[in-house]
Amino acid sequence: MTFLKLVVRNLLRHKVRTLLTVASVLVGIFLMVLLRSLDSSLVAGAAAAESDRLIVQSAVSLYVDLPLSYQAKIASLPQVESTCKWQWFGAYYQNERNQFGQFAVDPEALFDIYPEVEIVDGSKEGFLGNRRGCVVGEQLITRFDWKVGDTIPLIGSLFPHPDGPDVAWEFQIEAVYRPTTTNFDRQTLFFHWDYFEKTLDPRGTTPPGMGTLVLQVAEGVEPTEVMAAVDAMFENGPQRVQTTPEDEFQAQFISMFGNVPLFLASIGGAVLVAILLASVNTMLMAAREQTYDIGVMKALGFSDGRMFTLLAAQSMVLALAGGGLGIAAAVVTQPGLADLIAPYLPTQYVVGTGTLVLAAGIAVALGLGAGAVPALRAGRLRCVEALGSTE
Amino acid sequence: MIRVQNVTKTYRRGAETLRVLDDLSLEMERGRFFALMGPSGSGKTTLLNLIGGLDDPDSGSVVVDGVDLGSLSGAELSAWRAQSVGFVFQGFNLIPVLTALENVELPLTLAPLSRKERREHAEYALELVGLKDWARHRPKQLSGGQEQRVAIARAVATDPKLILADEPTGDLDRDSAEQVLELLGRLNRELGKTVLMVTHDPHAAEHARSIVHLDKGKLGTVGETPIPESTGA
Amino acid sequence: MLVPLSYNVRSLFVRRASNLLTVLGIAATVAVVSGVLALQQGFANLYAENGRDDVGVLLRPGATYEGYSAFTREEALKLMKSIPELAEDENGAPLAAMELYTAVRRFKRDEGETNVPVRGVQPATFRVRESEFSIVAGRNFEPGSDEVIVGKSLLVRVPGLEVGDVVPINVTPFRVVGTFACEGPHESEIWGDLDRMIAALDRRGPSRIVGVLRAGTDPEALATRLADAKETPAKFQTERAYLSAQTAMLSAILGLLGTVLGLIMGLAAVFTATNTMISALASRIHEVGILLSTGFRPFPIFLSFLFEALLLGLLGGVVGTLVVLPINGIETGTTNFQTFTEVAFAFRVTPAVIGTAIAFSVVLGLFGGAWPAWRAARLTPTQALRRH
Repeated sequence: MTFLKLVVRNLLRHKVRTLLTVASVLVGIFLMVLLRSLDSSLVAGAAAAESDRLIVQSAVSLYVDLPLSYQAKIASLPQVESTCKWQWFGAYYQNERNQFGQFAVDPEALFDIYPEVEIVDGSKEGFLGNRRGCVVGEQLITRFDWKVGDTIPLIGSLFPHPDGPDVAWEFQIEAVYRPTTTNFDRQTLFFHWDYFEKTLDPRGTTPPGMGTLVLQVAEGVEPTEVMAAVDAMFENGPQRVQTTPEDEFQAQFISMFGNVPLFLASIGGAVLVAILLASVNTMLMAAREQTYDIGVMKALGFSDGRMFTLLAAQSMVLALAGGGLGIAAAVVTQPGLADLIAPYLPTQYVVGTGTLVLAAGIAVALGLGAGAVPALRAGRLRCVEALGSTE
Repeated sequence: MIRVQNVTKTYRRGAETLRVLDDLSLEMERGRFFALMGPSGSGKTTLLNLIGGLDDPDSGSVVVDGVDLGSLSGAELSAWRAQSVGFVFQGFNLIPVLTALENVELPLTLAPLSRKERREHAEYALELVGLKDWARHRPKQLSGGQEQRVAIARAVATDPKLILADEPTGDLDRDSAEQVLELLGRLNRELGKTVLMVTHDPHAAEHARSIVHLDKGKLGTVGETPIPESTGA
Repeated sequence: MLVPLSYNVRSLFVRRASNLLTVLGIAATVAVVSGVLALQQGFANLYAENGRDDVGVLLRPGATYEGYSAFTREEALKLMKSIPELAEDENGAPLAAMELYTAVRRFKRDEGETNVPVRGVQPATFRVRESEFSIVAGRNFEPGSDEVIVGKSLLVRVPGLEVGDVVPINVTPFRVVGTFACEGPHESEIWGDLDRMIAALDRRGPSRIVGVLRAGTDPEALATRLADAKETPAKFQTERAYLSAQTAMLSAILGLLGTVLGLIMGLAAVFTATNTMISALASRIHEVGILLSTGFRPFPIFLSFLFEALLLGLLGGVVGTLVVLPINGIETGTTNFQTFTEVAFAFRVTPAVIGTAIAFSVVLGLFGGAWPAWRAARLTPTQALRRH
């Protein structure tokens, strides 16, 4: 008959209560991991971006396009190895609520400058060879049940089809990509610039502008040098530019979330407090009912220290069980949740090991904190009083 | 074996202060069966608790088998209790979540025994009280008398020199009470244990060898029961 | 007969510590849910309350919002003249204006950047907005000049927009000459002269047309007519419909967040409440026996304990609401992802939020107490009175 057996038996004595306590710790830890993962997923976008990729955008804001002529001028700089233009397309699939990124790009340059775009279905050559082709993110395939070979109609909102606002732009899925890094968007549709430009402006009189130009800095060149050179080139217009490293460019999107991460963090904190209170409550109630037993054991010769350890262990087992299950639940639901959240957030929902370690730590702290009061009480309980108690 | 010297104990209840034991001195020999009797409030349970190291006096000393209980620290007292004393209470006090055997084993976990040795000692103690077949039963599956006998088995499991019993038959019917008292008697006669039993029942006290009377915290008469001619039952 | 309510009220005080902890657990749940709802209400109300039914918004067909819409100047003028439903001013000109919508990237007072909406307006805009708009500092800009006025909500969140500061837009510096107030999302905008803005940004024309509608105009009919028009097609909405559509996504996200949090935390709170009630009843099992033997029937006893749980929930709801009330009116802001621009608003703890919070807490209490109360009521007197 071991100590652990006594701990477990005591906990199983009131199965319902134990179950409920474990369940509430489970829920609390799960929620804490969920919120923290949301928070860190939101800010993860800026991390680990390539430092030798620069983004050229209008100095005003992304609402303003840059003239196409800028690309040739920038590409002619010796410090610039390659360039790729991007234009946000702003269309929707089937109904206005189905939002995801679509970009007209320089198709070959895209793959050159972004090696993390890995083709997992279809073929890159198929895409490059078909002017009306597109390459889509894996998550779009699951979200809309598409497959390679499908023709996707998109209703243009920013760029309505010249034949009429209800006429759809049609793209054929030639390839599916999966990014090898976590901060590249998983549900974007890329298509040919040529097709974009020729459809909008068949006679070449008023070509569209480009939203951003991505450039790959030549090896050994200091990025800040290039940034200064490009900005200086267009100091006097017609559109002033701002060239930034890619991580700074991403950061502007993150910072637009403003207080949301703080908000999520405080919710997480409030949740933890509520769960701690609940657990303390339960442990205290359970401990009070054990007062008599504690008196008996002390009479038998169990020391104060052993009684302290018994009660502390009971709390720890509950906290670890609930915490462990909560962590498991968070890990198991991660893929499902990632798909569910994808339409609403620009970044991938990921549960990081750091968060899980923190959650485990919190579960342990919970066990210690919630068990402290009952354990101390058990340790200090005077045998005679305990035996006199009728609880 | 037991020497109580000038012991005083007071309790505060609300605004009142009760002097439960008043400058009490007493000596008890080894290997005897004592009954502690007296009206309620006479301090007999308190005296038992002091001798068992469950409580400490306001003044005076308690020495058991050469050990001055007042000189021991809390942890030492616990260890001493585990080794030297076996308790039997009126309310049986078995741990409800453990089986009979596990209850008996409980104090043995404090001794430096291997798991096998512990189990053997516990089984032996249960057999001693005649409940070997009930080893796997939980307290709620046992009758009152059986529970008390398990409690006695628990008390002797560590082979202590001293058995302290507080109204052990108070909650039992006549037949079960008789069984328990006989058991205590056997522990005293056959195993040589010193037994101190608090009781208010004169019939129960007949099983003891010496009767100590307490009244209002002071020692009253100390008498001896005549040894019965036949030692049956 | 029913068990006296005072019995339950007094019983709550007996086990003060555990009941207090339960109440706090429910209060925390309620506070969090209320906070999220207050955020959602603040955001939604900013748009929903301030959309006018008598003002119409015209966009290019197919555009989902003005940021995506563009007309040439000629198209816009032609369109304005072709709509008799527009009210007229005293000179017989339509009470309508062309507007350009764009954004300028600025640093925020706290970390990071944001896109501040910039609107190029015409003098007619001020006539359309007469009832809502006022200058609160400095003066309005001179038409045709490189001056701008700034909405007062922006000043809290974005530095460098005070009267006298300069806002560069492309290569043209615009000087801030005043601060304005205007109920609704416009208060987070910078306004300047339409033509100067178009020139500074090298654009072809405005983004949209706004105008006051004549009384009795049927918006649906007008929308259909303009959608089908051959010469000057346009997408028409009342301002109210237009603004409501802007908030749809963020409102939905916040609503979803509030619901999910409420369910999950509520679950944990119910577990706590159940635990408390079970334990409370376990120690009062003797009392149940006495009630039963006195003559109270099981169902009233069930109701009685349910009432006690309800009280716990209600207390939790009240405490939670009190905790959340101070955030009412706190200014915050975020990027509205549909428009990709900054919008400032305040938390609003509306009666609806409070009502939802209290109702939620009562439900939590009821769920928590139902099962223990039912178990207690099912005891027979002998079971309950037996000492253990």
